[in-house]
Amino acid sequence: MIQAQSLTKRYGSKTAVDSVDFSVQPGKVTGFLGPNGAGKSTTMRMIVGLDKPTSGSVIVNGKAYREHGAPLREVGVLLDAKAVHTGRSAYNHLRALAATHRIPSSRVDEVIALTGLESVARKRVGGFSLGMGQRLGIAAALLGDPATLILDEPVNGLDPEGVLWVRRLTRQLAAEGRTVLLSSHLMSEMALTADHLIVLGRGRVIADAPVADIIASANRSTVRVRTPNSSGLANLLAQPDVTVTNLEQDLLEIVGVTAMEIGDQAARAGIVLHELTPVSASLEEAYMSLTQDEVEYRTNGVPSTNDSATPALQEAAR
Amino acid sequence: MTTLTHPTEPAATDTPYVSSGPGLSFAALIRSEWIKLWSVRSTVWSLSLVVVVSLGMAAVMAWATTLQLNNGAGPADLSVLPAADQAAIVLQAATFGVFFGQLIVAVLGVLVISGEYSTGMIKSTLTAVPRRLGALGAKAVVLFACTFAVGVVSTVGSFLVAAPMLAGQGLSVSLFDSAVVLPLLGASLYLGLIAVFALGIGTILRSSAGGIAAALGALLLLPIVLSMIPAQWAMDVSPYLLSNAGTALFSTTATMEPWQGLLVVLGWIVAVVGLAAVLLKKRDA
Repeated sequence: MIQAQSLTKRYGSKTAVDSVDFSVQPGKVTGFLGPNGAGKSTTMRMIVGLDKPTSGSVIVNGKAYREHGAPLREVGVLLDAKAVHTGRSAYNHLRALAATHRIPSSRVDEVIALTGLESVARKRVGGFSLGMGQRLGIAAALLGDPATLILDEPVNGLDPEGVLWVRRLTRQLAAEGRTVLLSSHLMSEMALTADHLIVLGRGRVIADAPVADIIASANRSTVRVRTPNSSGLANLLAQPDVTVTNLEQDLLEIVGVTAMEIGDQAARAGIVLHELTPVSASLEEAYMSLTQDEVEYRTNGVPSTNDSATPALQEAAR
Repeated sequence: MTTLTHPTEPAATDTPYVSSGPGLSFAALIRSEWIKLWSVRSTVWSLSLVVVVSLGMAAVMAWATTLQLNNGAGPADLSVLPAADQAAIVLQAATFGVFFGQLIVAVLGVLVISGEYSTGMIKSTLTAVPRRLGALGAKAVVLFACTFAVGVVSTVGSFLVAAPMLAGQGLSVSLFDSAVVLPLLGASLYLGLIAVFALGIGTILRSSAGGIAAALGALLLLPIVLSMIPAQWAMDVSPYLLSNAGTALFSTTATMEPWQGLLVVLGWIVAVVGLAAVLLKKRDA
């Protein structure tokens, strides 16, 4: 169980985490989403006391992390697959961490076996691939058999088999009554793994709800329309809460009006339609629509398909 | 495009999981830092080098002293010298390696912590020990114990190399004479304390290059710079520099008594390690 109250972190004039409140419940996998720079990692670092909050607080299993007598048995954390001395073997790395809590070496062997590192455990970590580094990080997180797990991008760099393994492992850990907080950029992965989502954007919580609710709430009807008179149709549908995007010369993507209404209005105005397709939102799209105003580092290099949309209508998008 | 459905079942239990077992203790942190120290190559390399350099220097120094005393003629007979002077000649050879050894243990002391910052290991360390000071304390204890022990091996070994070589000149000095064994232990103590001083520097600067430059600068450069300043205050301050005060622990030519030198060295360590502890506690990792 993780509870954050008005948790805030500022670096100089920049606010990385802006007065967030959330709680992460045991028995579920909670997904932590947000664009780069949204404050996910900073929040995770504050949970385990690596960064101090500028104001507010966060407690894990009832206490501030540093107040726990056996922190590794309360919280297992994978913040950065590279939090390992490159000159040390995986085995010795785990042994040194285990020693701080008198965790027996049999447990070290157990987590090595669990994460499939047996063949490389005696090798120096400097030579590890990203995937092996992730496995070692997960092994370290599991070392204390903790009640709470915090995993930042655990599937980053893993092969498909590893991704599946992490999915099963996190589901199983949650089923045992543990609290699991997981961040990932792979929305499709979140849809398969998480029960609940907390979405951050520019340091604020912009959504905190079960996965199914988030998909449903973002499922404003998107309709794909093919018509030779795309500008005519766009003007016809112009309304403050309607977004029209030109995907191609004669292909529009319209959000905010149902397919039926579009068909009716087009028929009344005498506009020919060649295609009229309602499209359901995936979690990926739900996420994009939630965070489209919250992205801090937007990619400007590649012209987006929106560029060809009628500027006035684009303005009316929100 | 399709709606992604949720294939997973509800959680099997609503009872929060509770983990149990021993927690943090200083003895456990010592054990952890011991494993860490000896599981990287730089420790074995640098501490072996301290011993090798010390023994080699003692042999070279004893040989040079012999040549100087012989001065082309036959073996000198120094057995007429007072016991203290005889001991001083042998000790000079036996502790000559300390001047090089201190540089090696200083580099090791910096690397013990800066290596954790440069690789990211510090995040694992401070997550396991969120109150932080215990980790620094355990590092200091383990590092001191190991460098002191290696210092004893080096200086006693150096004595055992130098004494027989100089015995030919009539010098008769026993290791078990307190005038001999105390300076040898003093030199070992100095090595151990320099390593802890360097650990403090490394913790403050969090960088291998910066930490090594600062530690070696304090040991080597500061005395030279100060000696070039033609002012009375520079001469007054000079004995209180870390490496100058430390010399009093094992050299008979020092201006301070051994206990005074020890107090000055401890003062440096309290200041540097104290600042390191405050910064470690305060800063984000």
